[in-house]
Amino acid sequence: MNELFAFIVRHSKWLVFTVLVCVSCMLLFRGDPYRQHVYLTSAGRLASTAYKSANKVTSYFDLLEINDDLNRRNAALESEIVSLNERIEIMTEQGYRDTLVADSGVPPFEFIVAHVISNSVARPYNYITINKGSADGIRPELGVVDRNGVVGIVSNVGAHSARVISLLNPHFRLSCRIKRSEYFGSLVWNGDNPYEAYLEELPRHTVFKPGDTIVTSGYSAVFPAGLPVGVITDDDTDRNQNFFKLRIRLLTDFTTLGNVQVVRNNNADELKAIEEGEENDSKKNPFGN
Amino acid sequence: MTKFAIRYALAFLLLIPMQAIVFNHMVLFNVAVPLVFLYLIVMLPITMGINLVTVLGFLAGFLLDIFCDTPGVNSLCCTVLAFSRKRLFHLYVSIDDDLAGRSPTSHTMGAAAFMKFLLTLVGLYCIMLFTIEAFQFFNFRLLVLRILASTAYTFVLLYAIDSLVVRKAEV
Repeated sequence: MNELFAFIVRHSKWLVFTVLVCVSCMLLFRGDPYRQHVYLTSAGRLASTAYKSANKVTSYFDLLEINDDLNRRNAALESEIVSLNERIEIMTEQGYRDTLVADSGVPPFEFIVAHVISNSVARPYNYITINKGSADGIRPELGVVDRNGVVGIVSNVGAHSARVISLLNPHFRLSCRIKRSEYFGSLVWNGDNPYEAYLEELPRHTVFKPGDTIVTSGYSAVFPAGLPVGVITDDDTDRNQNFFKLRIRLLTDFTTLGNVQVVRNNNADELKAIEEGEENDSKKNPFGN
Repeated sequence: MTKFAIRYALAFLLLIPMQAIVFNHMVLFNVAVPLVFLYLIVMLPITMGINLVTVLGFLAGFLLDIFCDTPGVNSLCCTVLAFSRKRLFHLYVSIDDDLAGRSPTSHTMGAAAFMKFLLTLVGLYCIMLFTIEAFQFFNFRLLVLRILASTAYTFVLLYAIDSLVVRKAEV
């Protein structure tokens, strides 16, 4: 026993080193961002408190740009309101109103406004921390957008803060389609430029031209359909591939994120239940009879 | 030693959040990241027990990982760096009697030896950090650029901090 003890003491530096390296490697290779404990992420109380107090100062820095953006957006929305009002008038006049189908009453998507308290763009896996958490109705797997387009998806939720997987993170693939056509592909970040991403898995017969807008497909319950994501800049396809790979300029400026909105889909549970039900059915009955 | 412990605790509490909130955003040309928190590993006295140095290094990396959402990356690099620090030190300075209980600074080691020591530490750290990060997107040119630019940037900032601290200690 004494010898064992002496051995441990003699080689303690290697033991300590090995244990710490093993712990680090375990953290490093666990991979899945959804399975991390919230205290080991920037949404934990320690980090989020520090980020929140720093954000009280830094949130003023980009106000000029944000203001400009908001003005532009406001103008666009106003013109939309005007045109919608006109349409409503026309429809009322035509007496269509009585025959319109009534909706179920619950608006499908709700938006929760949150503020970005920490953000990175220069790492291979980028995350964003926001100042709203489960107390404000935020859950994992909710979508996050800002005034220009898609930002990311919530992964870990603390009481008053949450961590978002940024679009600039290879853990996040977004189903998108080209606005003019119905063809859809999968958007994934290119790894080094915070303004660019790739749209992959787009069928070879798709018709497009540079400058076309890319919007969310709405095939998942996370984002509503038709949210702007980016603009096609050029074709980066390898000649031998069966799918297009397009270079996309992202509409969201990740370097100056300020206010964002978390999208809550009120029908998400229903949709999920249906999809799970389908999966269970096919497991029970793989050949469908 | 108690005085040093208090100073170190303060530096720890200051530098980790500063790294996360300020220095991580001072990225130059999207390649050079200033890793100023490495001062926490540099400033430990050379005669300090290696177990303690390794654990402190790991803690610094672990805390930064929590702030930056990079689970394990900085912990691993910091552990290796803290563990190999003394060996790197002896590449340039053979005797550490004069340095008993004192931090390696340009004052205690001499400017030339300290610069070489600092450059080796920072360079090693940047090589480890960016190589681990490059597992996802491998781009050799970018990797080398990141390592060189970040090493130079961090080196300059750490040397600046060192000269500030030394001057203050002399007065």
